[in-house]
Amino acid sequence: MSEKVLLVDDEKDFLDIMSERMQARGMTVKTADSADKALAMLENESFDAIVMDFKMPGMDGIQALKNIKTQKPELQIILLTGYATVEKTVEAMKIGATDLLEKPADLEALAAKIKQAKADKMLLVEKQTEEKIKDILQRFGG
Amino acid sequence: MPNHDLSPDRDGVTFFSTLSAAVTHDMKNFLAIINENAGLLGDLAVRARNGKFPIDPQKAALISEKIRKQVNRADEMIKQFNRFSHSMDRSQEVVDMEEMVHLVAGLAERIIRHHEVFLTVTSAPVPCRIQGHRFDLLHLIFRAVEITCEILDNAPEDTQKQVAVSFGSDPLLPEICFMIDTDTAAGWDTLFDTSKNRALLDRVNMYVKKAGRGCGFCLCKTRETQ
Repeated sequence: MSEKVLLVDDEKDFLDIMSERMQARGMTVKTADSADKALAMLENESFDAIVMDFKMPGMDGIQALKNIKTQKPELQIILLTGYATVEKTVEAMKIGATDLLEKPADLEALAAKIKQAKADKMLLVEKQTEEKIKDILQRFGG
Repeated sequence: MPNHDLSPDRDGVTFFSTLSAAVTHDMKNFLAIINENAGLLGDLAVRARNGKFPIDPQKAALISEKIRKQVNRADEMIKQFNRFSHSMDRSQEVVDMEEMVHLVAGLAERIIRHHEVFLTVTSAPVPCRIQGHRFDLLHLIFRAVEITCEILDNAPEDTQKQVAVSFGSDPLLPEICFMIDTDTAAGWDTLFDTSKNRALLDRVNMYVKKAGRGCGFCLCKTRETQ
């Protein structure tokens, strides 16, 4: 099954070309040109991974990351940035970013990270489901 | 005229590094789009190799056009950045302020966009020329843009996030006005009341006054020092 990805960047040209290339590699891609729009899309749709620019107008990357992780903790977020400082990378990872890639990024490397992100998400969802079942069984005397 | 007497203070260095960071960030974005377009051409070549999917000439022309667009954007940005960098080499001279406003607007486009602010510049009715150091004047304009963006960040939600820059009509009393769609509690003529801003205004012999009409302020040349 193909990976479903939400691509978020304020550069329309970048969104267009990236989504075309990712789709050519079998991924299902939706796009948003701001973190606010991405958050709105997440309310109605589920994705295996988000690939998001770190610096966009409006909500900044760290805040967007926090909001997405609060809304969908299992979602894997790969950040793209012009410059990845050590401090920003550490901060992003602490909040729950899966990975951080510098622009211009190698699409094959990104595709591999998306594939891994989907596998990680599935493991996380499985674990959450198991815990829920355990909890229900304990509560009802299983 | 080369500058032999001035090196920027710490505030000036901070201004230079802020604009440098914004410009290099933009450059990385241009490169990222060029990189993806080159990658797409590569993808098409791979598919065409087995003869099943010949390259569509229209598609190739479109990709070429997209690459050219990014190269032009990058070229314009580098030219502006080069002019900005050389502003430090120059000594006191008569500076066209309309040109300086356009230069700051171009270089700080990313910063302004991050505040979700739209900046417009109205052509000067008469040449707006000021005697001063080009670098300091650019710094002052950037500071004015920063201040208006900060006011708009904290403005009520229904405020139009727009800054309109215009120039005075008296060539002997040059002024550059920054108009926005909201008022400020701080008082327009006190916006530059920090030691850094006062030092910057002093260096170029300018002061700030509330705009005559509407919400905003003007940077004005002190009469006796012209």
